[in-house]
Amino acid sequence: MKFYSVRVEEREELGSYTLLRYPWNDGPVEPGQFVMARAAGYPATLDPFLARPFSFYDYDGRMASLLFEVRGRGTALLDLASTIEVTGPLGKGFRIDPGLGSAALLGGGIGIVPLKILGRRLDAVGIPHDIYLGFADAKPAAVARDFPGAEVATMDGSEGTHGTVLDATESLEGYGAVYACGPNLMLAAVKRAAGPNGLCQLSVEERMGCGNGSCNGCVVPVRGGGYIRSCIEGPVFHSDVLAW
Amino acid sequence: MVVREQKASVDLAVELCGLPLRTPLIPASGTLSKEALDEVEDVYGAMLPKTTTPAARDGNPPPRIAETPAGMVNSISLQNPGVRGFLQGLDAFDLGVPILVSVAGDTVDEFTLLCEILAGDDRVSAIELNLSCPNVQCGGLAFCAGPASVEQVVAACRTAVPGKPILAKLTNEGVVENARAAESAGADGLTVINTLPALTIDAHARKVLVRGGLSGPAIKPIALRAVYDVSAVVNVPVIGSGGVVSGTDVAEFMLAGATAVQVGTASFVRDPHEILDEFTDYLKESGLGAAELKGALRSVRSGMTGGQISG
Repeated sequence: MKFYSVRVEEREELGSYTLLRYPWNDGPVEPGQFVMARAAGYPATLDPFLARPFSFYDYDGRMASLLFEVRGRGTALLDLASTIEVTGPLGKGFRIDPGLGSAALLGGGIGIVPLKILGRRLDAVGIPHDIYLGFADAKPAAVARDFPGAEVATMDGSEGTHGTVLDATESLEGYGAVYACGPNLMLAAVKRAAGPNGLCQLSVEERMGCGNGSCNGCVVPVRGGGYIRSCIEGPVFHSDVLAW
Repeated sequence: MVVREQKASVDLAVELCGLPLRTPLIPASGTLSKEALDEVEDVYGAMLPKTTTPAARDGNPPPRIAETPAGMVNSISLQNPGVRGFLQGLDAFDLGVPILVSVAGDTVDEFTLLCEILAGDDRVSAIELNLSCPNVQCGGLAFCAGPASVEQVVAACRTAVPGKPILAKLTNEGVVENARAAESAGADGLTVINTLPALTIDAHARKVLVRGGLSGPAIKPIALRAVYDVSAVVNVPVIGSGGVVSGTDVAEFMLAGATAVQVGTASFVRDPHEILDEFTDYLKESGLGAAELKGALRSVRSGMTGGQISG
């Protein structure tokens, strides 16, 4: 896998998340696509050894940004890094079909990340949409200020609706398209709530080894049996494809 | 001051079981997808797609990988479309270099069947028998357990495919005895070693994360020792495999006795071109061609008293 060494030009804290901006002009980036990233090391860092997958948070043709939660050593080092190593855009993103009418965008926790570019893309093609963001509590929910007009839910009720991201919605069945990213349990609930009509696309969060389809480590179970890779066939899947 | 003659160009070519390889690097089985082939053009001397089995296999349920210090543990378990589907997709791996095909079966008959199918396919230059996947229970046959079963499988495959080189991929445990057995049963070469049996546990969740095979630089010294020891007792070529991440690692394996070297997990975290570039730089500095590294290891005595290599 080819990594590019890039300088972190801006670092910001949004809620309990870290935002890093780095120069990237080798577009285009589709909403829902991701990169493998790590703090710089040579020839590779030995511990942590693997890069981590991150959805693009934003991209303006000149600067790309990643938004992530510090969860372990890999993200802790990334949080402190002045130079990081990133791959180019990977995976299949959200499919946008202008014929589907209005859209609902749902993000759970750090699963809000791909919704930023997606929302802008929907604006660009004139698809009206509502954004629903769910968090554990008010601290991470502070990131919602970067999503003007979004409905917020927190599990402890400290911000917005008390409950899950689905509790912030009235019904998903009226939307022509539903887009969601978050933990698998949330995605399964969104899939049920979206009902059989319309287009429901889910971006899964899986551990990845390589990001280019080689290691077969990031698979998800598919309806009808077997597994497919979230890095190549995903990370965005039509909900019908997934077994859960 | 020693003046060293600088070679105008570096000779990366080696010969493996009669196959000319333009570089000594080969992707380790199961570490290079067809989607990633664009990224590795000109790096490898041979292609080696993921192991195939007689029937399609779904592989193990996730989680399948866990990171460890300087490595990772995987439990993919030979997910593949089965040999027929595999052969339908094989043309994608034609990069103008020999294609080695890795096969695995649960029984001697399954190995033999795979060899018979591949024997007649002109695209297949050699067959690597995966006798050592740590994630597969070989029904009734403990391939990793000893030389008797290794000999049995290799001998049967030898008969099934008389016209192509056969490589036996061996695990670290008992590697010298198994290497001797494979050679005497007619193997043309040996791949040493496969991933090492390993386990990861999440203490906070009190759960086993992944029970599988450890790969990556963490296992390099073990693999190097295996290559060194096996090379000392067999006459067939050895392909070194285990933890290679740099060009110097490649050189170390070849100095230890390997004719060619497999790159696996490292390709997840680096561009393999960089490994080949570093190896090329090493050859320039040493003034040796790739094929000259085997046997170029100095003995401890001469290494201690010999002249300094200046770069």
